[in-house]
Amino acid sequence: MSAVAADPLASLDAGERANLSAIADRLIPAAHGMPSAADVLGDDRLRFVLNARPDLVEPLRVALRSEHGGDVAARLDILGRDDPAALGALQLVVVAGYYTDGRVRELIEYPGQVAIEIRSWEYPAYLEEGLIDAVMARGPTWRDPTTGERAVIPDAPRTYEERWSTDAGSPEGGPDGNDRA
Amino acid sequence: MTAEPADVLIIGAGASGGVVALRLAQAGFKVVCLEQGEWLDRADYPGDKLDWELKSRKDWATSPNVRGLVQDYPIVEDDSPVSPLMYNAVGGSTIIFAGAWPRALPSDFRVRSLDGVADDWPIDYFDLLPYFYRTDRQFGVSGLPGDPAYPPDTEDAPMPPLPIGSAGLKVARAQTKLGWHWWPEFNSINSTPYDGRRQCVQRSTCQSGCNEGAKASTDLTHWPKAVALGARLVTGARVRRIETDASGLATGATWIDRDGTEHFEAARVVILAANAIGTPRLLLLSSSPNHPDGLANSSGLVGKRLMMHPFANVGGLFEEPLMSWQGQFGDLIESLEFYETDEKRGFVRGARWGLAPTGGPINTALPSRAGEQVWGADHHGHVRAHLGHGANWGLFAEDLPDEANHITLSTTVADTSGIAAPEIHYRMSDNSRRMLDFHIERAKESLDAAGAYKIEVDRLMRYSGWHLLGTARMGDDPAVSVVDRWNRAHDVPNLYVVDGSCFVTSSGVNPTSTIVAIALRAADHMIETRFEQRVPV
Repeated sequence: MSAVAADPLASLDAGERANLSAIADRLIPAAHGMPSAADVLGDDRLRFVLNARPDLVEPLRVALRSEHGGDVAARLDILGRDDPAALGALQLVVVAGYYTDGRVRELIEYPGQVAIEIRSWEYPAYLEEGLIDAVMARGPTWRDPTTGERAVIPDAPRTYEERWSTDAGSPEGGPDGNDRA
Repeated sequence: MTAEPADVLIIGAGASGGVVALRLAQAGFKVVCLEQGEWLDRADYPGDKLDWELKSRKDWATSPNVRGLVQDYPIVEDDSPVSPLMYNAVGGSTIIFAGAWPRALPSDFRVRSLDGVADDWPIDYFDLLPYFYRTDRQFGVSGLPGDPAYPPDTEDAPMPPLPIGSAGLKVARAQTKLGWHWWPEFNSINSTPYDGRRQCVQRSTCQSGCNEGAKASTDLTHWPKAVALGARLVTGARVRRIETDASGLATGATWIDRDGTEHFEAARVVILAANAIGTPRLLLLSSSPNHPDGLANSSGLVGKRLMMHPFANVGGLFEEPLMSWQGQFGDLIESLEFYETDEKRGFVRGARWGLAPTGGPINTALPSRAGEQVWGADHHGHVRAHLGHGANWGLFAEDLPDEANHITLSTTVADTSGIAAPEIHYRMSDNSRRMLDFHIERAKESLDAAGAYKIEVDRLMRYSGWHLLGTARMGDDPAVSVVDRWNRAHDVPNLYVVDGSCFVTSSGVNPTSTIVAIALRAADHMIETRFEQRVPV
């Protein structure tokens, strides 16, 4: 519907918004220095969520309809029993609105999925600590299909330093798959 | 549409389709590919945007039934505890796969000989080794050489390993303390700039498409090169059936465009690369009076022996912050400690473990893996305790082939083109249940040794059917296999199946590395035998 595409909030009436606020406060109340979801889930956040997920509008409306009454706990119980999809949509709207809020993210010290530079030239701690050497010291663990037993390779390297000095090395071909064929 | 038939028609532009298309285009073949999805622009991927966790539960879900996009087909899965996962686009499921790149192990190809169950493959690990090296280079693999769980290599991964993060290091120390195998995971994700693509930035959104292009997907690694060599890739093309002539040879495919118009694409050779659900679906859809049970199905095994790797998740919580929402979602580390058969455990074969990041705050509040929802004032403590404080062992159990696990065509559900949907029938075997139970207990010991104060278990995840295998198995005997050791259909000499359908057994590892090595081997053989290839006149 174009009305939903234009502004998903227009599909929710005042009663449904009031129900949403009461439910949000119940699910995520103000506590332990955190704001309540009812305080966070204003027009901007709700619009953001429903614009990202217009498929949630209808099940959200179902979950918020007035026939379920004013008792929030009873409403959640009924939805859990009779309409888990609507309950799931309601919970997702509340949670998503809450955790996409900048202030909430700051309080939980979550900056989002950020880009981090890989320093592939640095010697990894697991090599430094000898964790790889411990694995290599146990020798080959693959099962030799010709014997059915654990493979025996007498000259298998037992440390990473030994392995690094063997003949295996960087690939010689290019990435197009048409080399050395 | 062209008047002259294509030398090869590939159906599906995913992992195996991309590999075969590039190799054959390099050899001068006239290649056409029909793909029901479209080219994607990675600027549109949600991973670097605020709504990532919202979109990843709908338009970017791994289940086509959840997405319900126009390019998806529905899968009737009521008779399965596991949902098949896939993506339909140029690049196929490599768009949304994690990028973990373990190879099948030598014993995986000799399950009957070694363990008295299932079947041996007609090929082995060492047949594939040269192809593993080549596909590692094509896709761009990062990894630490020397893993003693595998035979020695003569060629290292093209790039150094990706970081294993604080969670990976913590669990690696525990594995070492226990004397158990672990290794930094091999991933088809760039740890350095490679082949014109950027390096990974550890955003951990690999399963919603990689914004950086650092994770290999064939829309980046193969198709642009194949198209530059003349391959023609038709998108929005949903194949209805493969056509055959009176002599039983494939002549091409009938397909439907987005407007509902039907077309025919003629070809001398047809190659199926549509995954182990889509490929048997098409073979069954291609029945005719000459082959009423479906094309290439004289063995009766098309669609049978579906394997999906039953998957359990064991998550540990730690007091200290690990920032475990970051890091490649292809795994941080893996363990193959309990991979090989030990009959004292009460089952045969084994499972691979992969340690993965744990997601953002929405996933913390509404966990898609192990965990619970907590509401009320305690919600805040729950989120603080979980977000960035977890480490997840994912356990992939080897799924033994069982003809009762199969695909049929639905008589009631169809896609938007009116083509019958696939219907899957799948049960986890007792062997797999015992295997997962054993591995769950060992994974709990690992996380306990790492210092986890709480461990949460998901014993069989529904949305875990990433690995679709076995529904057109390979073999030397046409009575008990669909394709031969070179992926050619026994019944139809100019029809090939190069996706995971050809797997004889499933191994217990993520299969993409092995699938593409097999596909490249098949393509090389097509080139070598091109002058003996029977084609329709």
